[in-house]
Parts: sequence; C-alpha cells; structure tokens
Amino acid sequence: MSIAILRAAVVLYVASAALYLAYFSRPRHARLATVGFWALTAAFVVHAAAIGAGCREFGGMEFFTLHGGVVLAAWLGAGAYLVLQRIYRVPTLGAFVLPLVLLVLVPAALADPAHPDVPPEVVRHAAFHVVAAILSLALFGIAFGVSVMYLLQEREVKGKRFGALFSRLPSLESLDRLNQRLVRAGFAVFTVALLAGTLNATVVWKSAWSWDPQQITSVLVWLLFGAMVELRRLGWHGRRYAVLTLVGFLVMAGAMGGLRAFPGATRHAGNYGTEAGAGGAP
Amino acid sequence: MSDRDLYLVGLSHKSAPLEIRERVALTGDPLKAALQELTGRDGVGEALVVSTCNRVEVLVHAQGDGAARAFFTDRAADAGGHLYVKQGREAVRHLFRVAASLDSMVVGEQQILGQVKEAYGVACAAGTAGSYLSRLCNRAFATAKRVRTDTDIGRGMTSLSQVAVELVEKIFGDLAGRAVLLVGAGKMGALSAKALAGLGADRILVANRSAERGLALAAQVNGAFRAWEELPHLLVEADVIIVSTGAERYVVTREMVLAAMRVRRHRTFCLIDLSVPRNVEPACATLSDVFAYDVDDLEKVVATTVDARRDEAARAEAMVEAEVQAFTQERRARAALPVLGKLRRHAEDIARAEVERTLAHLGGLDEKGRRSVEAMALAIVNKLLHGPTTRLKKAAASGDTELPSAAASLFGIEVSEPDAPQAAAQPAQGEDPEAKPAGAAPPLPS
Repeated sequence: MSIAILRAAVVLYVASAALYLAYFSRPRHARLATVGFWALTAAFVVHAAAIGAGCREFGGMEFFTLHGGVVLAAWLGAGAYLVLQRIYRVPTLGAFVLPLVLLVLVPAALADPAHPDVPPEVVRHAAFHVVAAILSLALFGIAFGVSVMYLLQEREVKGKRFGALFSRLPSLESLDRLNQRLVRAGFAVFTVALLAGTLNATVVWKSAWSWDPQQITSVLVWLLFGAMVELRRLGWHGRRYAVLTLVGFLVMAGAMGGLRAFPGATRHAGNYGTEAGAGGAP
Repeated sequence: MSDRDLYLVGLSHKSAPLEIRERVALTGDPLKAALQELTGRDGVGEALVVSTCNRVEVLVHAQGDGAARAFFTDRAADAGGHLYVKQGREAVRHLFRVAASLDSMVVGEQQILGQVKEAYGVACAAGTAGSYLSRLCNRAFATAKRVRTDTDIGRGMTSLSQVAVELVEKIFGDLAGRAVLLVGAGKMGALSAKALAGLGADRILVANRSAERGLALAAQVNGAFRAWEELPHLLVEADVIIVSTGAERYVVTREMVLAAMRVRRHRTFCLIDLSVPRNVEPACATLSDVFAYDVDDLEKVVATTVDARRDEAARAEAMVEAEVQAFTQERRARAALPVLGKLRRHAEDIARAEVERTLAHLGGLDEKGRRSVEAMALAIVNKLLHGPTTRLKKAAASGDTELPSAAASLFGIEVSEPDAPQAAAQPAQGEDPEAKPAGAAPPLPS
C-alpha cells in the first residue's frame, strides 16, 4: 500500500527533476523552474502520504531499515530544498539536488520493503534520534549538491571558461555561504541526534557507549563536521571547504547506509538486542 | 489630394558625427513642442521622434518628407548631408530593426527598445501619435520582444567593463561591504570602477603615482585617494582590484599578492588587469582563492559574444522581415476598404436619384409599386457591384494596391486617407478610427 503511494511520488519527483534540468539548460524559460517547484511540492505531499501509510503498516519500524531510512532521507531532503527555495531562490540548485533524491529513492521504490522486525520499545525510544540523524544526512546531502555546484563554477571562473555553466550557476560567494549554512545546520541537527542517541543507548542498552561500529563512525563524522564549522571560523572557505563537504557527506552516507547493508554488524540494524552486553562491549 | 505614407528621416552613429547628433537631439518639453510643430505643418498627420545619443529619427505619416527634413535642417543647417530618408515599407523595416536593436552600435543592446517606447509615450502625450503610428509602434514593440525572447541576440557581454562586472558578480555576488581598488588612472580602469560601483561596493579606493591625477580620478569615480606607497596594505583592504597604469613592468607581483593573502586569511581576491603591457604578474592567477584576469581574457569573452550575436542577428533579421511583411500587407488590405465603401455609396446615390426621378415622372404609383421600383434599382446596384466587390476584397487581402486604385479612378471616386487629420490631432486612446472605413454608408441589403 505505502509502496504504491511512494511510486506515485517518484513519478512526480521524476517530472520535477526533468523540469529543473530543462530549466538549467534553458534558463530563459523561468516557468520551467516554477512548474518544477510545484511538481516537487506535489511529490513532497504524496511522499508524505506514503510515509504516513508506511507508519500505519509497520508502526514506525521501517525507519530503522535502509529502505525506510532512505525514503525518509529523500523526503526530508526534498522538504529542506523546498524551504531553501523559498528563502534563497536558487532554482538551478534543483538540477543538482533532485537527481540526488532520485538516485536513492528510485531503488527504494523499486524494491519491496522487507518487513522490519524492530522491538517496539526501541522504536518508541529512538524515533526522535533516528529522524534527527536522517534530517542531518538530508541537509548534508543538499550541501553536497551545493558543493558540486561550487566546484563546477570555480572551475569556470578560475579557468576563464565563461561557458554555459558560468552563466547558469550562481556566484561563488553565494554558493559558499549557502554551503556553510547547510553544514552548520546539519552539524547542529546531527549533534542533537547524537545526544538523543546516547540517551537512548543509556536507557535501552544500559550503556552510553558500546563500541558499536555505528557509534564509532558517527563520532568520526561528528568530529569531521565539527572541524569544518571550526575551520570556517578560522577563514577556511571556497574550494577546500567544498571538497571537505563532499568527503564528509560521502563518509556519513557510507557509514549510515553501508552498515545497514550488513544486518547484525551493528546494533543499529538487525540485532537491536535490548539485553545488556549483546553488542559485546569490552 | 495625394496619399499619405510613412516617412522616416534620421541620422545615426552610422551616418553622422556626434557634433551633429547632439545639435538635433531633443528631450522633454522641447521635444513635445517640436512634435506639435511637425504635425502643425501641411500634410503631416502624425509624428514621432526617437532621440537617443546614437540616433535622432523623425517618423511622420505625411504626404512627403519635407517637414521631417526641415526638423533637422532647422536645427543644424549642415545636417542635410547626413540624413537618410526611408519611405513606406523601408521606413517600417527601419523602425522594426531599430526597436529590435539590430541597428544599434552594439547589436542586441537592451536600452534601445525602452528608448523607442519612451519616444512613443512622448508622442502620445503630445497628441501627435494617431492610429497609424500606434499600430506601427505596437507592432514594432511586439516584434522586438519576440526577437529578444526567441533569439540569443541580447545575450553575452559586449564591453570590457561589462565583462569585469559579470566576473566580479560571479565571484562575489554583490559587493556590499567590500572595497574596490583602482590602481592607475587609465580610462578603462575608471569606466570599470564606475560599473562596479553599480554592484553596491562600499568604498572605491584610488591609488596613483601622481597624487594630482589620482585625486582628480577619485573625485570622478566617487572614491577616496590613497598614496602609492600604501599599495601592499591596500591589497589586504580591497577585494577587487582593477589595475590600469602605463607602467612597463609588473606593479602587482605574485609575491605581493601571496603576502597579502596571508594577512587576508585567504579571503577571496579578484585582480583585473586592464593594462597593456600587463601590470599584474600572470602567476598570481595560480594562487588559491585568487582570481586574476588580463585584457586578453576579457577580450575573449567579448569576441565570443560578438560572434554569437552575429549568428543570432541573421535569425532576428528574418523575424523582422516577416513582421514587416505582415504589417505592410495589413496596411494595404485596410487601404482598399475606403474604395469599397465609396464605390457602393456612389452607386447607391445614383440609384436613389434615378428612383426619385422615375417616381416623379410616373406619378400616382401606389405604395407597392414604389417599393418595387426601389427594389429593382437596388437589385441592379447589388448585382453590378457583387463581382467587383469580391474581387477588390480579394486583391486587398493579397496586398494588391493597383486594383483598388484602378477601381477608384475608373469610377471617378476620390479616396481620402483612412486616418483623417483630426484623428491625429486628438488621438483617442484605445479607439480605432479605422474600425469603420471613413466613407462607409450603411450598406444596403444584398
């Protein structure tokens, strides 16, 4: 049921992505971007319905699987983009963010979700933690798109190419600033997610730290983005910052997605074992 | 009475030097007065004057070009040799090309359409633009808009300062809170600094070896003068630097920029070197967070724009030609309508007069009999005119003007212009005096 609605949303996402890409290739037709925006809004609403239906079907368990996590990440990413679009009006960003959304969402929509089996008490306790972690991933995902735009534009400007990309992409400064804001916001949300997760671990696993692979990678990612926020204060910006953002997002997405591909490797997937010590803390 | 036609008399950057153009250029109230003076002359129905720094053109719907020529020769006696005169279709084409920016010094520049629109506005306000010029101008504006949206003629950058502005905009967005430093007193530098001020730069600083020229330049660009010795420090303070000196060696070296970047904590820095020979060491461009350009880089952008626009101009010309064709055909079709109306009225007048005479002769005819006679007369008129009417309408629609005028002279009808002079004197906004042909009598049932 929820997967059928999700597939309808994917069709709308594809339409929106096509419109944004068409706008990028023909920036004089501003209506393409406007229609793309509304198509995306429609996709977002239908996607929300799919998630709502999923919640009724699986009682929130699906967010703990790779499938559900990806679906939620794409939804939050699309929502964040809609908000950004309202504030900054950078319609060309759509051509970079929406393919990213589709990249994760299409495989998820094609596969049938395996019925998740997560202890209800874990769901109850960790729901906020999971949603916050996935929201920060979505924000870093948009920052990833912005960084790609920055690097492309920098190549044009520095290399004196002044081609099609030069005229279509926004200024380096605005991309850099947007990237910085997204990284900062993503870092703040990620921090909250880690704190909530630590709290959950204390309650459910009776131990804040259990050398779980997900915990380790999360702390590394947190340190990386924390360093970025601090480096920014020291004057880091531009190209180096954009490259760091790309690396940061890939590490984070790899850690969150990759670990879920191996059920049992982490207590964040498969063995949510509530019995103390199941994670094998030293 | 001879026919009115559209005449365009003018001079432009292509035909006349600035000394003459500036003597005939007009704006504001003097322009309104000149327009009214034009329509006050014999045989002039409507008038419009486009006056910009690159061209002054007088468009009149009149019996001849005399009044329009006089407009120029009255103001500059030696203007006569620089004038071009276009009539009818040629004049229409010229206006369409001007509005579409195909006749501009920089083809595709954006200002001219606004200037023509303004000229039309002034003519409307002065009451000298009637139905003919209104139709003409609206068609010209629509054509220009189509050219702008359907071709790439207005795209790209056409001057060095424009390229500089575009570059800086792609690097910094706007310049709010930033300083622009102008090094040297070259003319291109001053132009670019002024153009950059449009991006909202907080301050413009000027550094020059000679304090005297530096101060003068600072006043000219609304900037603050700084001593030459301060240059290393200024490289830290400013974010955009335009170098335009006559020096034979590098004024800004890689070493200087490297040192400045350390103090700047690698804040983005843009160097634009407009001097020949170059004054900024080319190796500066390799430093990270430094964007450096020389004249060649900027010229390349201008060259690609000019090339691209040349290709687009051919497409635009074809579009303009099609619109000119459509407009003149419409005009011709309209021109035939008065002939038809007059022809019919002429025939009906004869028929009515003959009916009166016949009835008077016959006398004592009852109502039914009178009606029959009247009906017979009208039937003859209708039958007789049916063929010519259809053929005239057909000819008019296909743009044939000979047949209508032949018909007019064959039947001895004098056809006045559809736009009566009073229509020009008081142009009724939104009302079209041509909607009903001038001499149309209520048509008889046919």
